[in-house]
Amino acid sequence: MTRFVARRLVIAVVQVAAITIAVFLLIRALPADPVATRVGFNASPDVYRKAKADLGLDRSTLSQLGTYLGGSGTERGLLAGNLGTSWASGSTVASEIGDALPITLELISLSFLLAGAIAIPLGMRTARRPGKALDKAVFGYGLFAGAAPEFWWGLMLVFVFYFKLGWAPAPLGRLSPQLQAPTQRTGAILIDSLLAGRLDAFWDGLRHLILPVVTLAFVLSGPIMKMVRQSMTRVLGSDFVLYAQAAGLPPRQVSRSTLRAAFGPVLTLTSILYGFMLGGAVLVESVFSLGGLGQYSVKSVLEFNYPSIQGVVLVITVLSLVIYLVLDVLLALLDPRARHR
Amino acid sequence: MTATAPTVGHPKRPHRLIAAARRDPLLTIGLCIVALSIFLALFGTLIAPKSPTEPTGAPSEHPSLSHWMGTDASGLDVFSQVISAPRTDVVLAVSAALVSSVLGTLIGLTAGYFRTWWAEVVMRISDVLQAFPVFILGMMLVALSGRNTGNLIVALSLLYTPIFIRLTRAEVLTQRNRSYVESARAMGNSEWKIAFRHVLPNSLAPSLIQLSVTVGFGILLTAGLSYVGAGVRPPTPEWGLMISSSANQLILGEWWPSVFPGLAISFTVFGFAAVGNAIERRVGG
Repeated sequence: MTRFVARRLVIAVVQVAAITIAVFLLIRALPADPVATRVGFNASPDVYRKAKADLGLDRSTLSQLGTYLGGSGTERGLLAGNLGTSWASGSTVASEIGDALPITLELISLSFLLAGAIAIPLGMRTARRPGKALDKAVFGYGLFAGAAPEFWWGLMLVFVFYFKLGWAPAPLGRLSPQLQAPTQRTGAILIDSLLAGRLDAFWDGLRHLILPVVTLAFVLSGPIMKMVRQSMTRVLGSDFVLYAQAAGLPPRQVSRSTLRAAFGPVLTLTSILYGFMLGGAVLVESVFSLGGLGQYSVKSVLEFNYPSIQGVVLVITVLSLVIYLVLDVLLALLDPRARHR
Repeated sequence: MTATAPTVGHPKRPHRLIAAARRDPLLTIGLCIVALSIFLALFGTLIAPKSPTEPTGAPSEHPSLSHWMGTDASGLDVFSQVISAPRTDVVLAVSAALVSSVLGTLIGLTAGYFRTWWAEVVMRISDVLQAFPVFILGMMLVALSGRNTGNLIVALSLLYTPIFIRLTRAEVLTQRNRSYVESARAMGNSEWKIAFRHVLPNSLAPSLIQLSVTVGFGILLTAGLSYVGAGVRPPTPEWGLMISSSANQLILGEWWPSVFPGLAISFTVFGFAAVGNAIERRVGG
């Protein structure tokens, strides 16, 4: 087991290094002009040259990469844990990502909980009764939920529940403007307000989270449900289930053990989706102005803010790889055969 | 072909078509949607009743007989925009899917059949590409190289090629040990000929299934990029852009400029997914 984890760790580190360098070179290979967007296109050549030097873009790409990784003078580099300074705001990329990341994590974790609560029972039920009305309805739902863009679903929910019914708050952030935000500890609004003992902020934050969470869960539950059904069907047809049934085990107990056996592929898909959502929740974050990691990356890209783009990509990659690593360990614990693959 | 063949075969044909449609309604619906979207991609701008890029009515008009889907906040006819948008959305997604499937299949074939350093390099590069956050990579490629259709196609193709490489390579790896490969080799065929004439046609199924699905992904990604302002530029009629520019009106109760393009996206993606699903069932079963 230790060797297994060690090998995966080495691969992960190499991947992170490769992506870090790839994104650094890729950004600079593309024909964007971050200097002109900062000083304006009519700036005098002197001003332009000075701005370019300030950003460090006057040096060769390799020398820039060296500074980015190893630092220069008093400033530490990436290898010493410094993600750099944002070109747009002047504050450190690490602190900006630190503010944005918990928002996204809170949003997508809740969405996955809701999606799982919908998808797992439905997937199990349809696997046991294939071809029935519910199965067909669920199949159609899966096709359709995946076909509509999630930002559009979000907007439709806003239209119905905010404009028509007035049940939901306006999609303009994480708290109502008149409420004072709880002291920031974790960055996740629900946890922070509980820690501060602010029940009013907790309810308000929850109300603001409901529509975005429902939107994402709606999109996510389609593929999860499909995977639950698929792997349940496979397990239900396997010899050990037949044996358990023949031995007269109660159906409840049989389905509990099939669920465990069918869990592997579902877990894999869920963690891949989770990694994907770290950057992929951006559209829903935009619709509801939540200001998470996705929105931060949009802002960074549109501002040609290279250090921030590099930071976001690095953080998302590292997080996804950590999730995959934990997943591999979990799967190896669940199923010894996986260790030798 | 003899002269009698068509007369014998002909009367049966429509009958068979209807029977096939009845057997597989999902495929039929999918094919209709795909055909319609390709038709609109070719002729949508020509048959649009009004200009899709210039105001043709008062701003924010409700759907009516003169503006079937109403007008948006700048007075543009929503219906004309919706049927002109496939020129961008569908063309873009189909081109990217074709480019990435052809590239990915060929690269995957060589990487799977010839197990040399080339295979290692290809697989490691696609590993890195696939570990990137997709949306952010797409956004980066388009925004930093210029927001136009050409760059969008390049970006989407780059994003989707690794999927085809992976699928084809996996299939090739199982095919290369089949006995027909050995027979072909025993007949004295060159390795390249075996790879392209014999293994390639037998390894196309996964890519064919993926192709249709990829078109759907491409449409969703194009619309998503436009929504956050990293896609095509206004006033290009594009579904995501239409939704994005009318999102603020929606909160005020103007539903029509954003509902219709969203429905158009959903139906188109659904159509391509349904066709992909049908191909999967045919090839799989």
